[in-house]
Amino acid sequence: MLSNGVVAPPVPGQPLSGPALLAFFKTDCPACHLALRYLDSLSRSLGSGDHVVGVSQDEPASTDKLMRSLGADLPLRFDRDLEASAGFGLEAVPALFLLDRSGRVLASSQGFDKADLNRLGGELARLLEVPDPELARTGDGNPDFQPGCVSRHLEPESEATAAEIPDLYSRRAGRASRIDLPTEADAEEWCYESGYADPLPVVPPTVERVERMLAESGLNPDEVVAHVPPNFGAASAEKIAANAVMAGCRPEYMRVIVPAIRALCDERLDIHGVQGTTHFAAPLAIVNGPVRLELGFACGSNVFSNAARANSTIGRAFQLILRNLGGAAPGRIDMSTMGNPGRFSFVIGENEEVSPWGPLSEDFGIEAGRNAVTFFCAEPPRPVSEHKAREPKVLLRAICPVLANLWSYRVCKRSEAVVVIGPEHAATLDRGGFTKRDVVGFLFENTGVPVSEYDGDGGEGTHEAGFYDECVIRGVRCYRKFRRPESIRVMVAGGPAGKFSAVLGSWATGPRGSQMVSYQFA
Amino acid sequence: MSLTVVNPLDERPLPEGSAPPRLTSVGGARIALLDISKGGGEVFLDRVDALLRERYGVSEVLRFRKPTFAKPAPEAVLTDIRKAQPHAVIEALAD
Repeated sequence: MLSNGVVAPPVPGQPLSGPALLAFFKTDCPACHLALRYLDSLSRSLGSGDHVVGVSQDEPASTDKLMRSLGADLPLRFDRDLEASAGFGLEAVPALFLLDRSGRVLASSQGFDKADLNRLGGELARLLEVPDPELARTGDGNPDFQPGCVSRHLEPESEATAAEIPDLYSRRAGRASRIDLPTEADAEEWCYESGYADPLPVVPPTVERVERMLAESGLNPDEVVAHVPPNFGAASAEKIAANAVMAGCRPEYMRVIVPAIRALCDERLDIHGVQGTTHFAAPLAIVNGPVRLELGFACGSNVFSNAARANSTIGRAFQLILRNLGGAAPGRIDMSTMGNPGRFSFVIGENEEVSPWGPLSEDFGIEAGRNAVTFFCAEPPRPVSEHKAREPKVLLRAICPVLANLWSYRVCKRSEAVVVIGPEHAATLDRGGFTKRDVVGFLFENTGVPVSEYDGDGGEGTHEAGFYDECVIRGVRCYRKFRRPESIRVMVAGGPAGKFSAVLGSWATGPRGSQMVSYQFA
Repeated sequence: MSLTVVNPLDERPLPEGSAPPRLTSVGGARIALLDISKGGGEVFLDRVDALLRERYGVSEVLRFRKPTFAKPAPEAVLTDIRKAQPHAVIEALAD
């Protein structure tokens, strides 16, 4: 970059008359697009004369197209051979140079920076003896700062350019921008139109609401909790708080949301794959520990539906964060064939108070009585009804065929399952002396697909039958459905009346797919 | 009175990148096929492989495979492809 006080080399075209602000840009640079909007309004405010001049590093056709899309008509020059770009010592664009009447550099700036724009615009106005235009305000909907792109003359020789590698590791992020809504705007409609929301209304994330949410988290606003796949947007405390506000969360829910976002982005869960799959899977969060009662999580009746604010809004916050920071919105990256109602919200509490067994989180090494959130990427729940069984084995026999149908009936050794035992069923199992281990063992041993189903029709699961494990269930030769007993997890939830349970199947499992993760928190 | 809201979106600019120019012809070229490990992928790719050689005069078809469709290609697979220096890579989806 030319230093201040140096006489600038000639610009393409006619010599400039009088003080001028030169702006080098290229058409495929997002920071240039931002800068040009402000420079155009500066040019308009100064009236006639070439006082604000754009210098394009591209052809007139593509430059004109950009100007039309921006609605801009500031005076232009074309640096076709990129000699001026090299002569001005550009590294990045947009690059601004304020020149005095004699062509001497008075000030300069690279990249998009509102403070620089205001400073250079102000100095130009003083030179022209006109009022200082307030050019770029914080909170006008555009970021305060955005790094530029490499100047065209320094681009590598290759005809292809690699996209920037995603930032996976930074612990600090830029602050979220503040946006002043137009006074006549309906805030809810504005959020919806700005692409902030799923199709339901949101609570506008006003500065005051977000600050209340942040205060509960005890985190700095720019502290990064996780990078959300697949786009790896930074989930800073402030961004999490803004999305939690929109979802309708109370500030105290942040104690669950923050550790849950860490868990959700744990590589073992592979939310990256789940967000892009055509399958039904959606991340189900299961909450254990005293926090369930303290924050009012539904663990009983309607546990999978719309019974409690904590479940519904925290689950929705997860989904908004995945969408707004991870980039997986339906129709773009999320191309699920059928979807899953759990993509609105999918959070349940375990009904530990009526469970005869230890909590689910104990399966993952977390001491009973501790708060924990466990994620399982799940299909929608499949119902089990068994109102007659008085013995554990009779009851569990009603669950086995539902388990056998997971993924696809004849596919074995691929799925995992969470079996949510209803309280009445749990009582039957407990009366019969069945421990959780007994339940899992029985389900594993008695869930299979008859070998006779594999009759050479070429359907899904039949080609891999040679790898399946054979067993005999009630006198019938079968292939065992599950790889191992640990493929089945058992927990208790639901209301006091009704002899129902639910079975949830998985997405792709194991180290090459999604593995359940459980995180303890205070 | 106007409300001020906190932007809840990822505000980073989209990373820029561009594909290399398309080959004008695949005759005599070395083409890599990346199988993403979806079920039935090899059936589809075997046919693509044969068509590229028989119908389009591709001199060599190189086959690569991701260990799982559920995750991005690991660096080792990408390195193997780069080392083979194909003229073009077809990321071959199948289901």
